[in-house]
Amino acid sequence: METWVLSNVVVVLLIAGALALAAFVRRNRLWSSAFAELWRRRPVAVAVVVLYVAVALLDSVSWVGGFEAGEDAVAAHEAQSVIDRLFEGTRERSYSAPLADAEFYGGAALRHPGSHVFGTDILGRDVLYLTLKGARVALLIGGITSLIAIPLALLFGVSAGYFGGRIDDVVFFLMSTLASMPGLLLLIALILAFGKSTLSVCFALGVTSWVGFCRISRGETLKLRELDYVQAARALGVSEVRILFRHILPNLAHLVIITFVLMFSGLVLSEAILSWLGIGVDGSWGQMIDRARDELSRDPVIWWNLGAAGLALFGLLLAVNFVGDALRDVLDPRTVREEL
Amino acid sequence: MARAPVRAALHGFRVLGSLLLGLASGGALGACTNNPYPDADAERKVLYTVFREAPRTLDPAVAYTTASHQITGNVYDTLLEYHYLKRPYELIPSLAEAVPEPRPLPGGGVAYGFRLRPELLYQEDPCFALGGEGRTTRTVVAADVAFELMRIADPAVNSPVTEPFSNLAGFREFAKALAARREADPEFGERPPHEQYAEVGGLEGVRVRGELELEVVLRAPYPQILFWFAMPFTAPVPWEAVAYYDGDEGRPRFADHPVGTGPYRLALYDKQFRMVLERNPNWYGALHPEWQAPGAVYPSEGEPGDAEAGLLDPEYVGRALPFIERVEFRREKEPIPTFNKFLQGYYDSAGIIQESFDTVVREDRLSPEMAELGMRLEKSVNPSVFYLGFNMDDPVVGTAAGERSRKLRQAMSLMVDVEEWTRLFINGRGVPAQTPLPPGLYGYEADYANPYRRVDPERARELLAEAGYPGGVDPATGRPLRLTFDTADTSARGRTTIEFFVNAWRELGLDVSIEATTYNQFQQKVENGAYQIFQWGWVADYPDPENFYFLLWSEMARSKSGGPNTANFSDRRFDRLYRAMKTRPNDERRIALIREMRTILERERPWIELFHREDYALFHGWLRNVKPFGMSFPMVKYRDLDAERRAELRTAWNRPVRWPAYALLGTGVLIAIPGFVTFFRERQ
Repeated sequence: METWVLSNVVVVLLIAGALALAAFVRRNRLWSSAFAELWRRRPVAVAVVVLYVAVALLDSVSWVGGFEAGEDAVAAHEAQSVIDRLFEGTRERSYSAPLADAEFYGGAALRHPGSHVFGTDILGRDVLYLTLKGARVALLIGGITSLIAIPLALLFGVSAGYFGGRIDDVVFFLMSTLASMPGLLLLIALILAFGKSTLSVCFALGVTSWVGFCRISRGETLKLRELDYVQAARALGVSEVRILFRHILPNLAHLVIITFVLMFSGLVLSEAILSWLGIGVDGSWGQMIDRARDELSRDPVIWWNLGAAGLALFGLLLAVNFVGDALRDVLDPRTVREEL
Repeated sequence: MARAPVRAALHGFRVLGSLLLGLASGGALGACTNNPYPDADAERKVLYTVFREAPRTLDPAVAYTTASHQITGNVYDTLLEYHYLKRPYELIPSLAEAVPEPRPLPGGGVAYGFRLRPELLYQEDPCFALGGEGRTTRTVVAADVAFELMRIADPAVNSPVTEPFSNLAGFREFAKALAARREADPEFGERPPHEQYAEVGGLEGVRVRGELELEVVLRAPYPQILFWFAMPFTAPVPWEAVAYYDGDEGRPRFADHPVGTGPYRLALYDKQFRMVLERNPNWYGALHPEWQAPGAVYPSEGEPGDAEAGLLDPEYVGRALPFIERVEFRREKEPIPTFNKFLQGYYDSAGIIQESFDTVVREDRLSPEMAELGMRLEKSVNPSVFYLGFNMDDPVVGTAAGERSRKLRQAMSLMVDVEEWTRLFINGRGVPAQTPLPPGLYGYEADYANPYRRVDPERARELLAEAGYPGGVDPATGRPLRLTFDTADTSARGRTTIEFFVNAWRELGLDVSIEATTYNQFQQKVENGAYQIFQWGWVADYPDPENFYFLLWSEMARSKSGGPNTANFSDRRFDRLYRAMKTRPNDERRIALIREMRTILERERPWIELFHREDYALFHGWLRNVKPFGMSFPMVKYRDLDAERRAELRTAWNRPVRWPAYALLGTGVLIAIPGFVTFFRERQ
């Protein structure tokens, strides 16, 4: 199957999943009131996150044909996303400042004067376009890595907390070993070993970032397994698996959501650091910042590449952190109780 | 009760201490300077320059980097050397009395006879005690040159230049015999190298005829061998140094302790911070100024324009070298602080960092601000070539696809706008290349324009259609032809520089993907022949067209012999022409051969020639006799500097701005006074 077809299928599945989740939330009083409260507390942050997600989805929906790329004859044969189509044929020769009419060096007239909101880069590509494309990479990294790290953390944390004994010893040894390794060095080693692709970067980040949540979920499980209703279920002969899925995991759901949101911003930042070290993901904001390294020391300075990538990164992380804080307030029973 | 006087005394000490501290701080601020060098050296002729990483080795048979040649080139004098000012480059005698002429031998061999100058001495060194108690030096003999040539052949030395020296008669046989003897008799391998060499019978192609005469015999004509005698690889080396500096009993290794005959000797070698060269009082130029040897006095002739540039100043012509008494290399890891120290006058010369290029150079000239400070900008075209290459063994872009791939390569060549590339990525510091030969070399013709090294998208599209890829579409798949560009540069910047080419080819409809891997993975791909397009460069070892055209000689093909012909280009006619050109003197026939080879490359396009690198270097006005040399040969002995002027300007440029420190100190005192007053009042 072509990659772009797979990408479109994933987008459809994601949208279907989001709709199903929305329907579930509407039916469930606890969750619907929680999301209503979240929206009431942080409407702008939620809207910004939704905007980033929308941009990422628009950049993931692509198809072949109906694309006139001007100088780029290959593009007409490739699947182009909605974002690609919005910026069709906007390339210049080289650098131009935001909204400029002429090239930054040499002063030759631009093909599309005054239309580049964030200017153009050294190869004449619209920086706004590159910035919007970065949203998909950021969400992919945050999303896929969280999908690797959180299940891993839950598996180990819940097993260790619920079963205890040897399993707890092994998991604790594993956590302590991983926690004692310098994170960045381990990341670099994993990426060099598995190759430099989006998936291998996500895998490396996922493998190195599950320990924190594993500790939390282990502690929470230790507490939950001693509660009366879990003891009662056990006394009634309910199987361990059923207890885990019926009583333990649902009670960790709020932690999972909060961790996902908070972990997300950390992962996007980690990718930026990896890009700075030359082992990040192609098309990421981190890579844009890395490219801008030399530009900042030019005279006159070229600031718009760094500015646009930095602004996009800052906007996403700030919004995600606000949403994460609000979610914690809304979902954590202790804070809810205090407010009552 | 008795405690009160003690407390008062302690308090008095505290007040006195505070006052002294304040005075000391003020005094320190007054004497504060950013000068990193001792005041005693301010008006001495000391050249200050930088190194980034210490040379891996200073063994002249092994050292092959610019960083190591900065030391070995000054410490080891060679039999021949280059004229400092003349271009094209010209060899002149150095330790040898004359540049030898080839003497044809029966059977096709050639011999070169060298005669050393008499009474040449090595620098003072304890190693010479091995030859007799109390000795600190000795005279240079022809056997020392033979010893160094045998070291190049010695497999244990691992010299990187065995290939050109394999033209010496018996070179490979000597290496084999030595290795076999060592394997058979481990005790033999423990003996000093000169004894081992003598025991296996020496090198057949190097004949020592008396104390000062040496004959070098080649199996076949190889006129370029003389250029190798102008490089430190062939400098005379005393056997005592190699035997003594073995790394045992606290002695350094020979690779870290050079012992030579050059104008300077290595006085300090701290790989982390500092390297210092000092004048060698035993240098023949210093001992025998009456000889007026060409390599020991400032030249009286140069190329046109040298006199106007002040390079033939009567104040210097004919004067004994060297002028500079000491060379200090300081370690600098980052380019921006290095450049800033140059601007402060603490380094005498500097390259131009890319970030500051637009400030330093305006319209290809030194900016008025820099010129006002007395700086000078020197530009020189490096004898180098940078190119994109096709793997000619590849079934799509290589020879196997015949006319189809030839037209594909021609079309791709017509899309690469190298002037734009150099403008964007290297501040225009490159001369667009039309052939492998850079300017300044025999065979370079400035008026030649390669028909496939212009930008012509229309013609490129036609050629692509003729190649069977109309609009870049591969009829076999119905999609744009997919090619790969392999690189070992994984940085974002490196990728951008390649994207420039990729974008140009995308205009044709060719889908070229960039495969960036680690250097080891890239090397592995090259070993396996699993690459299509790559970017490479070559900097000349010596100024001869042979040193560029051999990069396309089939005998040097990477897939065949692991040689530097990474394009694996193989063309019988080209090989025949190359072999004929290689051994010819610089005459009309040689030019004609070069033109024919050029025509083959023009049509076949194994390379897309990019540019010849241009070096821009900044020098302070107090540095004299500066002429960029291009190749990696240190020419410090010809340079001079006005140390008094430098000291004056350094002081003027680095006057400390003290008022903020005084203001801070004053504010501190003002804040402290009410505290003291209150304290004393309460005590009373």
